[in-house]
Amino acid sequence: MSIKLIGAVFIVAGCILSGSAFSFTYKKEEKLLYDLAHALDYMSCDLEYRMSPLSDLCKKTSQQCDGVICDVFANLSAELEQQIAPDAKRCMDAVLDKTHNIPSSCKTILQELGVSLGQFGIDGQLRGLENVRNICNMKALSFTQNKDSKIRTYQTLGICGGAAITILLI
Amino acid sequence: MQCCWQTFINVLPIWMRQEVDRLGKDQMQELRLRVDQPPELVFQNESKWLERFVSQSDIDFCINMASKYSPWTSDGIQKGYITISGGHRIGLCGLCITEGGSIKNYRAVTSVCIRVARQISNISKRLYNLKDSVLIIGPPGVGKTTLMRDLIHQTSIHCYSHIVVVDERGELFPSTQARFVFERGATTDILCGCSKASGIEIALRTMNPQIIAVDEVTSPEDTAAVINAAWCGVRLFATAHAMDRQDLFKRRQYKKLLEEKIFTTLITLHSDKTWQEDRLF
Repeated sequence: MSIKLIGAVFIVAGCILSGSAFSFTYKKEEKLLYDLAHALDYMSCDLEYRMSPLSDLCKKTSQQCDGVICDVFANLSAELEQQIAPDAKRCMDAVLDKTHNIPSSCKTILQELGVSLGQFGIDGQLRGLENVRNICNMKALSFTQNKDSKIRTYQTLGICGGAAITILLI
Repeated sequence: MQCCWQTFINVLPIWMRQEVDRLGKDQMQELRLRVDQPPELVFQNESKWLERFVSQSDIDFCINMASKYSPWTSDGIQKGYITISGGHRIGLCGLCITEGGSIKNYRAVTSVCIRVARQISNISKRLYNLKDSVLIIGPPGVGKTTLMRDLIHQTSIHCYSHIVVVDERGELFPSTQARFVFERGATTDILCGCSKASGIEIALRTMNPQIIAVDEVTSPEDTAAVINAAWCGVRLFATAHAMDRQDLFKRRQYKKLLEEKIFTTLITLHSDKTWQEDRLF
């Protein structure tokens, strides 16, 4: 009986932890989106004021961020410096292929960013960054708005799922 | 001889890099790429051609690399060129988009001419001993900029004169990430990227120079600024496009400069890379 009880506790705890992990991932994705929006904001300001070349701009942006976003911009700067890919989009694609742990929502936005980079003059580039930043802000906002309900759902699902499996097994 | 060869190579399409590196590293003066034609490597007395033909995407690649994927950094494009970080200049030909009579951009670039920038030391020999203003003339491609670069360097290291170089196109003293590629001497300041006229004015107002150096004086604004600087008691080093002394006196844009007797020493470069020194007046 005690073995069954211990097993049940483990199963319930495991399911709760899974639910919490999902909610943690959700929060992390939300934070990344805000970090990315901040990075895009920095890029626009720097570009408007200093008109830095793309590789320098990415390097400076990476110094303003941390975590995955920092890695992405640092790698993009290195890729641009190598001068092998024919355009900035392909540099970004190569970076995204190499960098793991990027959530799909961020990846889509970074792909959009890659398409907009290095295509036109300063005005076109600023407009391109503005568009990507708007998309990023909207996505981050929708993450924030749905955060409470999503987290509650994941946690409830964890508990209920754990309880259900325990009942079934017992 | 100093040259930022790697930055030159990095601008080229990948399939071309190895071959150009092998054939042209030491002596090549220019590389000419034309759509649907093989690349032409120009040396002092001959040209060599590669086998494979250049495509439009090769030219686009070159331009993307030259601007470091950042079209907003190529401000010379309206004047038909891009200067890359080693000081190499890429001249552009193709289908232009104009606005108000001047080039705004290119719809398609179909030919590029990439000139290799090199620093050759001690070619200006005793020129740094001169105490007046120096004008260097010669046909295109004979090394006016190279001689000027060495003259500035030698004057700086031997005479300790305060020299301000107004380097509109970043060809005389190119920099990569704020570090200068060529030797410039301890007393030389470089003002890069602004027009000669405004650069000379800034230098006069703020840097208290003994010598101002400018490359390729051509427009009336440049001429007026040079005259103004001379009136302020500053010596000048400048280059100009003219085949020889007679040709210089024939050219209308230099008339005022000559009338004012701004330059007293004339250096004429010949196509065999030799030069001669004359008194202008």
